[in-house]
Amino acid sequence: MKCVLILEDEPFIAMDLRLALEDRDIDAIATTTCDEALEVLNGRSIEGAILDVNLGQGKTCEAVALELTKRNIPFILNTGDLDRSGEMLRRIEAPVVAKPTPSEIVVDCLLTHRAAA
Amino acid sequence: MSKGGVRSSNQAATINRSDPGSLDAFTGSSGLLFEQAMAQTRMAVCLTDPTQEDDPIVFCNQAFEKLTGYSSEEVVGRNCRFLQGARTDPDQVSRIREAIRNEEVVVVEIRNYRKDGTSFWNALHLGPIYGEDGKLKYFFGSQWDVSDVHLAKAEERNAKAMAREVSHRLKNVFAVIGAIVNITGRSMDARPVAQKINDRVIALGRSYEPTLDDAFLGTIEVGQAVRSVLEPYDPEGNRIHFMGNGVRTEPNAISAIGLTLHELATNSIKYGALSNEQGIIRVKWGHEADPHERHTLNVVWEETGGPKILEAPSPDNQGTGFKISETLLQHARGVMKREWLDDGLRVTISMPIGSKE
Repeated sequence: MKCVLILEDEPFIAMDLRLALEDRDIDAIATTTCDEALEVLNGRSIEGAILDVNLGQGKTCEAVALELTKRNIPFILNTGDLDRSGEMLRRIEAPVVAKPTPSEIVVDCLLTHRAAA
Repeated sequence: MSKGGVRSSNQAATINRSDPGSLDAFTGSSGLLFEQAMAQTRMAVCLTDPTQEDDPIVFCNQAFEKLTGYSSEEVVGRNCRFLQGARTDPDQVSRIREAIRNEEVVVVEIRNYRKDGTSFWNALHLGPIYGEDGKLKYFFGSQWDVSDVHLAKAEERNAKAMAREVSHRLKNVFAVIGAIVNITGRSMDARPVAQKINDRVIALGRSYEPTLDDAFLGTIEVGQAVRSVLEPYDPEGNRIHFMGNGVRTEPNAISAIGLTLHELATNSIKYGALSNEQGIIRVKWGHEADPHERHTLNVVWEETGGPKILEAPSPDNQGTGFKISETLLQHARGVMKREWLDDGLRVTISMPIGSKE
């Protein structure tokens, strides 16, 4: 895998994930909004993604998740709020990694999911 | 709602009649008793006449006047809808209309308005009353003010929503702390240290998960905390067996237990029952009361099937993790006993608790 998209509004978590991906020699592009993420998807070849579910101010990653599904790009969801986003998580069929989980394990999950897909 | 109703010929009293000719008065002593009961009951009652244009109220009792603030002179002759207002749910109104059309018994909770404009939650019970000839004669409505029930429900919902919000935010805070520790460890070439710090921070976060979800109760269930902390170490769900009851304790006792269980699990992955393919851990919890009604929470950790233990590790070689656990437990007036048995490690944690439920 060459390049992974990160959608995460918390800069420290995004940075931690980026470093964990770089440890595996995977490039990462970190974005904080759906619009940014969709722009990246249109401009670059992305092979996997890690999406935070709640992006603040009531916004969610759903638009990006749908686009990734359409393009057949494997992705996982990383969220601290399993209860509240329950309905949406059921609609999006992707593995969910509960926050807090060490970034290495989050990256492992993405790699396992991609290998299985 | 099943079709049915009260079949009686003697339903109405002689007071407050809009059309005296249409109401059958009780006769004799039963009539007097009925009137007294109607007057004294705290349940607000009214009767409407569906055979008249727009189904007007033909009778109401004193409790109805007291609840709504209207006198019977003001309401008799009018359709009940004057009790509705801006925030009355139209769906509930449709249910009432439907029930009247189908001559059914129905109970709805609806927001109604008093004469002074204040609103109340009304548990409205209504149903048809048939005459001796079997024809629909009246509609019976009983009103019960359930505003306090609604308020209590709303408060509970609020408390739950608040707890969820706090829980969500705290999980994010733990995630951010974890990221900062990781990034710092990386930049200072201290990744194994950062890893250890992080694992403990995450274990602490997990032990508080169930705490927050029902924090409004003031105490938390020990079993839920034990499971949240240990489940990540048993992804298949067949190596750690949980045996305990619904005993609850104060949230601050949980951090010590949560961190201790985390240390035990990581230790077990390195040296104990989780270091091979067949070892099993049993975790039991429960409470005990002494003759003075002092309650103790006991958590027992039993490893079996791990590598044979040849001798107990020397006190210097038991890891800083356990020193942290012991300090935390002591702070909560708890004790931890560790025994290296032939089958494996056995640990007993005892801690006084204020609540045993």
